[in-house]
Amino acid sequence: MSFEKFINQELTGWMVAEGEHSDIVLSTRIRLARNLQSHLFPICASAEDAKQVNEAVDQAVSAMEELHFAGTSMSDLTLLERQILVEKHLVSPQLINPEKYGSVLLSEDETISIMVNEEDHIRIQCIYPGFQVKRAYEQADKVDSELEHNLDYAFDETFGYLTSCPSNTGTGMRASVMMHLPALTITKQLDRIVPAVSRLGMVVRGSYGEGSEALGNIYQISNQTTLGKSEEEVLKDLENISKRLIAHEKKSRELLLAKSQVHLENRLYRSLGTITHARILPTAEAARCLSDVRLGIDLHIIKNIDMTILNELMIFMQPGFLQQYAGAELTPDERDVFRAQLFRDRLGIERSQAAETDADET
Amino acid sequence: MLCENCKERPAAVVFKQETMNGVTERHLCDKCAFYSQTFSFSPDQEPLSIQQFLAHWLGGSDLLQEQKANEKMPEGPKCPNCGLTFHSFLDIGKFGCATCYDAFREQLPRVFAKLHNGNTSHGGKIPVSFNERFALKKQLEDIRSKMKEAVESERFEEAAELRDEANQVKQQLADGGDDQHVI
Repeated sequence: MSFEKFINQELTGWMVAEGEHSDIVLSTRIRLARNLQSHLFPICASAEDAKQVNEAVDQAVSAMEELHFAGTSMSDLTLLERQILVEKHLVSPQLINPEKYGSVLLSEDETISIMVNEEDHIRIQCIYPGFQVKRAYEQADKVDSELEHNLDYAFDETFGYLTSCPSNTGTGMRASVMMHLPALTITKQLDRIVPAVSRLGMVVRGSYGEGSEALGNIYQISNQTTLGKSEEEVLKDLENISKRLIAHEKKSRELLLAKSQVHLENRLYRSLGTITHARILPTAEAARCLSDVRLGIDLHIIKNIDMTILNELMIFMQPGFLQQYAGAELTPDERDVFRAQLFRDRLGIERSQAAETDADET
Repeated sequence: MLCENCKERPAAVVFKQETMNGVTERHLCDKCAFYSQTFSFSPDQEPLSIQQFLAHWLGGSDLLQEQKANEKMPEGPKCPNCGLTFHSFLDIGKFGCATCYDAFREQLPRVFAKLHNGNTSHGGKIPVSFNERFALKKQLEDIRSKMKEAVESERFEEAAELRDEANQVKQQLADGGDDQHVI
């Protein structure tokens, strides 16, 4: 398969560099957890229960007027297909256990996904590119309100929406903003910011990678609590904190540029060299270089490369996608080689397109 | 001196343990000391999961401590629908069904306060259907009190009418509060 075709096929709504503050914010995600009153929660549900929940949700979803969804049961997909859904952030890793009767309903542009029989009966997720907290919530809220017409939600006057995990009880809402914060990371300011943010009921964590290491300097800021505050208040808090982080990151970028332009340029161009010429690219190195190149593009140091490379390649360099692109199973070593190939392919297209535009202009 | 366990690295930690037969002393390197069973934590451990959080802070600290001393683990209230006990809820960190919330209603504010910055009640969206059902419940209460009045003043015909009306509302509630079901 040609690389362009592959990309066009696999690109999903939130991966484009659009929306407000798209130089720093990659995407905004809202997730609402809902359960049905009359069925056991998925952790102790039988196959029969799960089937009934699936049917009830399918019916409620098809009754929606404006939006159209296509449903897939996890047990009908291959391991690789399931893995790719996770890598695209369209379903959670928890959903894809084929023994658990999970399924997903995706909107046409893949910005809305409704997971069924995950930890909760229903998880409505909306992902938009860039910083679009309000829009993402409005969409999720709309889907929720429409589903509610035909489903008997588990709701309690005191505790709100009842969820399987007590950390989601109340609004059942997790709102998160994915941000690229290279300058705050390089200048080691995040270590100070993270504890401060947590005191405001929000969490900052690496969006890719395990533990505290943030692959590609990409972080996720999300609300920690779901009881007490209303959805609007939580979103307002998230917006305020995100805006402060954006301003901080911008200032740090200027500072870096002003203080050590040559050193910064050296680093960014070396990374560009690596991703355009390397023959073996391990994940961590690939992520670091991508982050550098993206910073270079944002600072107008590196030209003629599309800023979506970071959004795209962070997704496409994951094991599932690499194997999909290769059309074969790959060992970890082979993946590193193939990843290097994928990066060269992607940047090659970019350059030839850029060259054509240049030629057109002259 | 080499570590008694791996016999590779120099011993750096003296590991004393009181046992039935007196104090044993082992010389371990820092790595083995770390991974010896007694120290079952690791420095790059993931932050506490919900289960661990609940088990450590709620189960371990104050909530069940007194009973623990008696060497008898209380199961706490039990959910009549899915059979989950409060104790196993703390263990697995998950509810089994919506009825669990009712069953553990008295215990839950403490759990939620720890998880949600001191907050114990919902302040956000309310489903429209819930409001409708709430209205129906209220209507049912009204009808019942009117019925009681009618019976007390021996207006039995009116009481019978009210009883039919109450049954209708009850049916509506059972149908999920959807008006369309009842003509």
